[in-house]
Amino acid sequence: MTLIDDFTLLEKHGFRLLPYYLARDENGAVRAAERIGYPIALKIVSPDVEHKTDIGGVRVGIKNEQALRNAFNEILTNAKGKRISGLLVQKMARKGVELILGGKKDPQFGHMIVIGLGGIYVEIFRDISARICPITNQDVDEMIMELKAHPLLEGARGKKPINKGALEKLALQVCRFMMKEDLKELDLNPVVFDENGCDIIDARFSR
Amino acid sequence: MEPKIRKLKFVFEPRSVAIVGASPTPNKIGNVLIRNFIDTHFPGKIYPVNPKYPELAGLKCYAKVSDIPGAVDCAIIATPAETVPGIVKDCAAKKAGGVVILSGGFEEVGRNDLAEEIKRISDENDLPVIGPNCLGIFNPYTKTDSIFLPMYKLERPKPGGIAFITQSGAVGSTVIDLAAYYGVGISKFISYGNGTALDESDYLEYLLQDKETEAIILYIEGVKDGRKLLETMKKVNKTKPIIALKAGKAAGGQAAARSHTGNIAGSYLAYHAAFKQAKVTEAGGIEEVFDFVKMTSQPKPKGGRIGVITNGGGIGVLTADCIESEGLALAQFSEETGKELAKILPAYGTVANPLDLVADAGIEAYEKAIDVMLNDSGIDVLLVIVLLQTPPIDERIIHVLTKALDEKKKPIATISIGGAYTESYRKILESKGVPSYSSPRAAVKAIERFVTYSMYARQLKKR
Repeated sequence: MTLIDDFTLLEKHGFRLLPYYLARDENGAVRAAERIGYPIALKIVSPDVEHKTDIGGVRVGIKNEQALRNAFNEILTNAKGKRISGLLVQKMARKGVELILGGKKDPQFGHMIVIGLGGIYVEIFRDISARICPITNQDVDEMIMELKAHPLLEGARGKKPINKGALEKLALQVCRFMMKEDLKELDLNPVVFDENGCDIIDARFSR
Repeated sequence: MEPKIRKLKFVFEPRSVAIVGASPTPNKIGNVLIRNFIDTHFPGKIYPVNPKYPELAGLKCYAKVSDIPGAVDCAIIATPAETVPGIVKDCAAKKAGGVVILSGGFEEVGRNDLAEEIKRISDENDLPVIGPNCLGIFNPYTKTDSIFLPMYKLERPKPGGIAFITQSGAVGSTVIDLAAYYGVGISKFISYGNGTALDESDYLEYLLQDKETEAIILYIEGVKDGRKLLETMKKVNKTKPIIALKAGKAAGGQAAARSHTGNIAGSYLAYHAAFKQAKVTEAGGIEEVFDFVKMTSQPKPKGGRIGVITNGGGIGVLTADCIESEGLALAQFSEETGKELAKILPAYGTVANPLDLVADAGIEAYEKAIDVMLNDSGIDVLLVIVLLQTPPIDERIIHVLTKALDEKKKPIATISIGGAYTESYRKILESKGVPSYSSPRAAVKAIERFVTYSMYARQLKKR
């Protein structure tokens, strides 16, 4: 499955993703950016790349056409030798707390959901809590409380608390999706939350 | 409840037991079993079964279970694996109440064929079968004891409210020994080994309606049906708190996982999640289970406010640190308590929690301080640190502590840290039923678990 197939299936299951296009070439990227509206993010889509950031395959906060063309060529240079399906042009996400919502099929317990501190350092902080699917809103609230980072979600340093309703809704949606499609693994990472809602920036799953 | 689970009552409360593989040879399992039943004055009938002997230990011996004239409530089998399916079949034909298979040599050595045969007979006849490859069961209320370890090597605990379900026989036997040593009362002990016909969830289900069981300790290595366990734990934990000890946590994430989630979510995480979901208390090791269990024969704390008494300032501070890090609170003394405590302290002492009686504190100071704190409704748990190395402390402290315990006003835990002298005193305290700990961490963790357990119990009672 390609990234676009993944995104399409997620949308079919009611996940609201940030507007995106897959651009095959530089001019295609420019046209996509004009349709979405600047600023945008540009990301490599390649079957050879597990973690896009690690190879310099991501540029964010691109404000205009010239910056976009430069970024496009930089990413291509960084990804030399890799098979490239295209570059993802994506609306810039809101600013906020980055979380991971993940799922896994356990051989004994079946589908389970993981909520944790997201982004590229997930495996370093390992600040996660887990439950067996399906779950209730109360489970989500308890999962949040188990995170060491929970004060961040509740509005540390003068920030507003994140929209808990959006997190509950998304977590329940993840459980349903995992179970319905009988997925082996799922990552929604990062998902950025602020007081108004959330943006799913990246997703991947396997059967 | 499935009939197979309901009928476990025959196994735990049998009016008659058949011991299949009974033997006259000392130290053979079949001999230890029969000796144990005779020596503990098992009130029901004992039927030795072994075709080789007409009589055993003064009792008539039968060639097979179906030869026994009266009813057989519980058959305990300790014969080689190949013979077991045939014996179970014979038990089913005899309409025995239930079967305990101690013998090994089944799934664990790849003989799944034998195990499947046993499961089939069990299912077809609604015959409860415990094991194989286990220590079986122990019920001190009915003196039913299939643990084939001699009593002089492995003491048996007194009757009480704690049930143990264990997959491992080795963990099971140490737990039994320690329970007896610490004076912890047991309601039912179940070592279920391979769990061929009945698994941990089935036993939880049985214990839910067992009138002697108040709380359940569950030791598991792995389960076959995690969903069933989760649903059963949720149901059982509503009325009877479960304390889980899961072995095999170290196996981390799958190395081959492609996703972040796959990398961070190892096999233990699912168990951890299930325990959280069912609000089951999780212990980190056997010692934590016992540290917790030692507390449970006392009145349940109403909250997590701790009153601390010490004769050593530093240990008091270390204990206060633990109280904070375990999410408990140091109690605020009432005005009355403050006044009373001030009378006990030397002129240079200050009333604070922890209350430092200082090193020249004698037995009387302890006695008064404990009495005052037991009567302060703002204190939920009393934690008494006694450093036995100081000159004024002698054996009278034991009496002071047991007396305070007997009042049953609040749960009490004690801490004494030291070498051989202190340890010998701690043993005496333990034998008198005083929960004694050798470190602040162990004591505070045990209190924290007891407070959480009591909170669940209270919430559930309200429903």
